[in-house]
Amino acid sequence: MTNAQPHILVIDDEPQILRALRTILGAKHFHVSTASRGEEGLAMAAANPPDLIILDLGLPDIDGFTVCSRLREWTHIPIIVLSVREDEHDKVRALDEGADDYLVKPFGIEELLARIRVALRHSAQSQGSPEAVIIAGDLKIDLTSHVVTRAGEEVKLTATEFKLLAYLVQNAGRVLTHQSILSRVWGVEYIDNVEYLRVFMSQLRKKLEDDPRHPQHLIGEPGIGYRFTMGE
Amino acid sequence: MNGIRRQPKLRTIFTYLAALLINLIITLPLYLMRDRLNISTIALVYLLPVLLCTIYGGLIPGLIAGLSAFLLFNYFFIVPYYSLWVHKPEDITVLIIFILVAFFISQLVGRVQKNLTLATTREQQTTRLYEYSLALSRAGNISEVANVIASHTREAFLAPYVAVNVVLSGKDNYHAHVPAEKMPPTNKPVIVMPLQTSRAFLGEVHIWRENTRLDVSEERMLQTIISQGALALERITLAEIETRSRVLEESDRMKSALLSSVSHELRTPLSTIKAAVTSILSGEVEWGSEAAQDLLAAVDEEADQLNRLVGNLLDMSRIEAGALKPEINWNELSEIVESALHRMRRILDGFKVTVDLPDDLPLIPVDFMQIERVFINLLSNSAKFASPGSEIQVKAWIEDEQTVVVQVTNQGPSIPESDLDRIFDKFYRITNAARITGTGLGLSICKGIIEAHGGKIWAENLPGRFAFNFSLPLTRKEKRQVAVKSET
Repeated sequence: MTNAQPHILVIDDEPQILRALRTILGAKHFHVSTASRGEEGLAMAAANPPDLIILDLGLPDIDGFTVCSRLREWTHIPIIVLSVREDEHDKVRALDEGADDYLVKPFGIEELLARIRVALRHSAQSQGSPEAVIIAGDLKIDLTSHVVTRAGEEVKLTATEFKLLAYLVQNAGRVLTHQSILSRVWGVEYIDNVEYLRVFMSQLRKKLEDDPRHPQHLIGEPGIGYRFTMGE
Repeated sequence: MNGIRRQPKLRTIFTYLAALLINLIITLPLYLMRDRLNISTIALVYLLPVLLCTIYGGLIPGLIAGLSAFLLFNYFFIVPYYSLWVHKPEDITVLIIFILVAFFISQLVGRVQKNLTLATTREQQTTRLYEYSLALSRAGNISEVANVIASHTREAFLAPYVAVNVVLSGKDNYHAHVPAEKMPPTNKPVIVMPLQTSRAFLGEVHIWRENTRLDVSEERMLQTIISQGALALERITLAEIETRSRVLEESDRMKSALLSSVSHELRTPLSTIKAAVTSILSGEVEWGSEAAQDLLAAVDEEADQLNRLVGNLLDMSRIEAGALKPEINWNELSEIVESALHRMRRILDGFKVTVDLPDDLPLIPVDFMQIERVFINLLSNSAKFASPGSEIQVKAWIEDEQTVVVQVTNQGPSIPESDLDRIFDKFYRITNAARITGTGLGLSICKGIIEAHGGKIWAENLPGRFAFNFSLPLTRKEKRQVAVKSET
């Protein structure tokens, strides 16, 4: 990220959405360009690489998944996908195709801005060397020494719990699908055992969250996966 | 089969022989008393076997008896004896009269006999047809009709095997055969008759039997069976079409009701949004003022309301189309409840919401989104009917090893016992209170979702409260829960 206005490319076929986003994001000092077709969006991204892409899954020419995978052939520009709430499969597929995050239509603008901030921060971090110690609220996670402290006190985690936490933390802000977590932490053969993940996640929440029922860091994305948020 | 066919032949030969035998037996005493008997008396006595043979044996045995009686009479009793010559003119007269009488008697009696047999057969056929039409009228569906046709055809024609194929346009084909336990013979059926009405070709009847030819009465019988069967098939198909069109009409009526209710529901939040936005645009309300904030908050809330409504409509159309397939995964009930409460936070603002879930509640195999939708609908229903400030409670407990029960209670008014089931029907509204908005879809969607999960939903009046309950299976049908050993 440079100090200049971050450049956001919005690819969506609905003129009203484009108009609204251009106005709102413009007011928030983003430089916004728009495309209403997939091919057009790909060409614009290649000609003038943006800092972030907001991509609608339903496009008239090529669908959003294709746009996602074709972008991922050459770039790590963060992609936030827009979709309707009912299609969990679509969201999972888009995330698997390389999208960083998704947002359900209709969405509040605060939510979109928060996701944009997280995505930009994450992309800035991944360009530098990965951080070894992550501080989120009163949590301190040392990825090299495997020590986790909460409000200064050490929290004992099992090996699997730590592996799970580390994977989430390294991708803080991003939605990780159940499948990607399972294959990364347990192995590809466990890809369908979402119940493993639920059990371990609930243990992690009990150990790390102030109120496990209202988690601040280990956020569930129903039907899709989990994300780690740094907290404010 | 050969045995059955040879038997009537044997019987005929036997009756012919019997006719001859009776005459021989009668001849003996007459012969012994020949000198004391008048020739006309003897002729009269000889008419008896002719009569008997015709009655019991039919026309041909009668004629055989007549002819043999004539020959015996001539041979033994007409002078010259022991020859077929006749000398006296009066003997010739007696003989001629005898042969004529014998012939007419046998003719007459034979015809009566034949008519009687015919009448009996007709009666049997009529009875059979009556039973057939009765069976047809009792048959309630295509395959039953096909079975009735097959079994009655088999009975009527003594056929070892009958198959009925019903071919209906645009629908499944039906096949019936008797005996049901046997496979159809490999050779071609002897008789194939089309099941046809004036409207359409409905199928075929295949008959396997030894005798390839049908006689006139059999032909007529078969025609009757076939045409009645075809009519019965047509009656059933027409009835089915009628039922279908009535169902369609009903669902059409429902859709119109839905459309009108939905348009109203859509317009209400839109009016609020439009009013709020135009008043801000017009500059009458100062941008950034408290009033403007209020208006914008209303726009935000109404947009959420619209979104929920569209979600319900989508769910309803999925349930209607039978396309509501839960995406079953192991989920934490508390997570679903929290998510629903979070979504409903603005509507539930002002209510005292308590959640009471046991800590040891296992993971439940459900579709997160769908069960969340159930909670959202139950909560929104509670918020609609209970007065603000009252308590809304979400509880759950393990009923048995297989089932978890979830209860959402509010302090709203109770509902007449007779209506408790009906509130889950589409468009059903207990009150007509104008202040209560809704499409009448929410609870029926809950029912659709819970039933798709293999659970049950019901409502009950508790003292001072009203409760929605639903049960969900704790075990997953296709896949058992994998025990996860927690590390220490």
